[in-house]
Amino acid sequence: MVLGTYKQITLARSTDKQIQKISQDGGIASALLCFALDEKIIDGAVVAGPSEKMWKPMPTVALTSDDILAAAGTKYTLSPNLWMLKEAVRQYGLEKVGIVTIPCQTMGLRKMQSYPIGVRFMADKIALDIGIFCTENFSFESLKTFIQAKAGVDFDLVEKMDIGKGKFWVHTADDVISFPIKETHGYEQNGCKVCLDLVSELSDVSTGSIGAPDDWSAVMTRTDSGETIFSKAVDAGLIETKPMDEGKFGLEMLTKLATSKKEKAMKVIDDRKAMGLPVPFKASNEKEGDPLANV
Amino acid sequence: MSERVVISPTSRQEGHAELVMDVDDEGIVTKGRYFSITPVRGLERMVTGKAPEFAPVMTQRICGVCPIPHTLASVEAMDDSLGIEIPKAARQLRELTLAAHTINSHAIHQFLIAPDVVPEELMVTAINSVSEIRKTVQMVVDIVAGEGIHPSDVRIGGMARNISEIARKRLYARCKQLKPKLDDHVELIIGLVADKGLPEGLGVTNAPTLATDVLYGDRENFDLDRFTEIMPESWYDDPEIGKRACSTIPLYDGRNVEVGPRARLATFGDFKDRGVVAQHVARAVEMKMALSKIIDLLAELDTSAPVMADFEINGTGKLGIGAIEGPRGMDVHMAQVENSKTQFYSCLVPTTWNIPTMGPATEGFHHEFGPHVIRAYDPCLSCATHVIVIDDEDRSILKDEMIRI
Repeated sequence: MVLGTYKQITLARSTDKQIQKISQDGGIASALLCFALDEKIIDGAVVAGPSEKMWKPMPTVALTSDDILAAAGTKYTLSPNLWMLKEAVRQYGLEKVGIVTIPCQTMGLRKMQSYPIGVRFMADKIALDIGIFCTENFSFESLKTFIQAKAGVDFDLVEKMDIGKGKFWVHTADDVISFPIKETHGYEQNGCKVCLDLVSELSDVSTGSIGAPDDWSAVMTRTDSGETIFSKAVDAGLIETKPMDEGKFGLEMLTKLATSKKEKAMKVIDDRKAMGLPVPFKASNEKEGDPLANV
Repeated sequence: MSERVVISPTSRQEGHAELVMDVDDEGIVTKGRYFSITPVRGLERMVTGKAPEFAPVMTQRICGVCPIPHTLASVEAMDDSLGIEIPKAARQLRELTLAAHTINSHAIHQFLIAPDVVPEELMVTAINSVSEIRKTVQMVVDIVAGEGIHPSDVRIGGMARNISEIARKRLYARCKQLKPKLDDHVELIIGLVADKGLPEGLGVTNAPTLATDVLYGDRENFDLDRFTEIMPESWYDDPEIGKRACSTIPLYDGRNVEVGPRARLATFGDFKDRGVVAQHVARAVEMKMALSKIIDLLAELDTSAPVMADFEINGTGKLGIGAIEGPRGMDVHMAQVENSKTQFYSCLVPTTWNIPTMGPATEGFHHEFGPHVIRAYDPCLSCATHVIVIDDEDRSILKDEMIRI
């Protein structure tokens, strides 16, 4: 089960032209949050919103569709969204919060809900967690450094970044530059090396571009609430779906990448454990059952 | 023949205390003495010499029962010492926090006295009612002050941030919904206390009342010159008790006083009744007053207004006073800031004022009523003292070390 537990897996994209224009791929996170907000399934959401610095996201409490759309698109750097959760339920007084998380944050969120130490009365206020596929993440300075060095463009001129087909793509106003994703290794966060989760296994709905054609996203619904929201949005015509390609560029690729992330991470975990270093995961020989399980 | 009845520790209250009653042949109390046996207090020493911002953070941890009044008294004392005038919205947020906490704290007390006054068939109703009320008012504290137990957003110079408009509307709606429930609850409690049929005059004392404000607290009404503090040895007539008592005896105009809800209503209203029943009634009535204040404040609050004053933290050595009317009475913190450090800090906490009054209040009635009298004051002794337990097994504690901090 390298993709975690899920109810259905499908390809999907937002039917909203505006979302399609600004979103990274299929615009699923934006579409679902806007829909959940309209349907009052959530009363606000914590998203990676814009900050004063270009490409440096800031955890933001979005209360309207406009706020959500302002946060559309992937930023390949850290946005500590969980940090904003408490403010969302305290100063903003939200009671049904939606949140977008990458896998490590999804794990943190679920842990926070299981052991609500320092976050009283918050666990029960999380209504929707949209997990994003993630292979690794970069600190802001790392991102800036390797883009300027590898793509040779000024960071301020970058209009879109993307990862796909084994390459890191940098779009500027009049150019598209790419370099092999391998060249970014060494710039990622240290924690990503021990991360066993590519697909946000613990989220309500997870989504990402891996295994999907251009401008579409792969979507996995995982919990009852995630499934309900997604199918309602599909029924409402806000999201269109088509079956996931089972083959080489579809499910097979997603499975392959998820497995290889787990295998690489497991090796680092085992090495670190052997040296007696603290790692928040079990070594492969400590696990009962699946040696690649996200535990 | 005189006999001595000792209750140690007294139960269903916060902290540890002892009630020693001399009784005559009929069991009537002729002499009552109540004193704290929760040892040692060191928090003021801990904050001295440190940055002023540390004081509210530390002193709110005096106790988990009324952390809000301690936080507020601490920031008010610091504001006064530093000469800060806080913005209007900040003051409103502080008042909101305290009013919500007062309702919460009174509801907890009603839970504690439930076994005394609530008949078995109504117990579930009463407890559910307490829980319902607490849930809503704690939400107010959570949102306005950042945290329900140890508020993080009450700061020197105002509040860390204003609440959002959506939060204000939500709280307003919730508190409005709570109003009929709270009215029923208050009626229930007052009715049950009356039904208990406690003897008339129980707990009546001649001690004057002391309060600075109707609900929030006003340092102008606390006159430091009229305050004196004596050691327990010179207060209790029994030298053994004088030695064991752990809190000092604060006096106002040289007399022991009563503080708390009844004291507030008597000082600022026309509430004339005295004694155990009157205290329960005053407490219940005050819950209604606090809720209507919350609703008014939420209606008035401008959520876009600034809540933090501009100020310098250097200090001039002025003795600042923060007087807050906590649920159990007047809580006064005093602070002196100079060279950006707290030079002097002292807390005069609510129950400390009541301690010398509570013992004599048991006199004249059967000793079985003693605990009723004590509980009517809702004593909370943790503020008085704190120790660090080194070993749970042998119960060894840090004593001397604590004092020397």
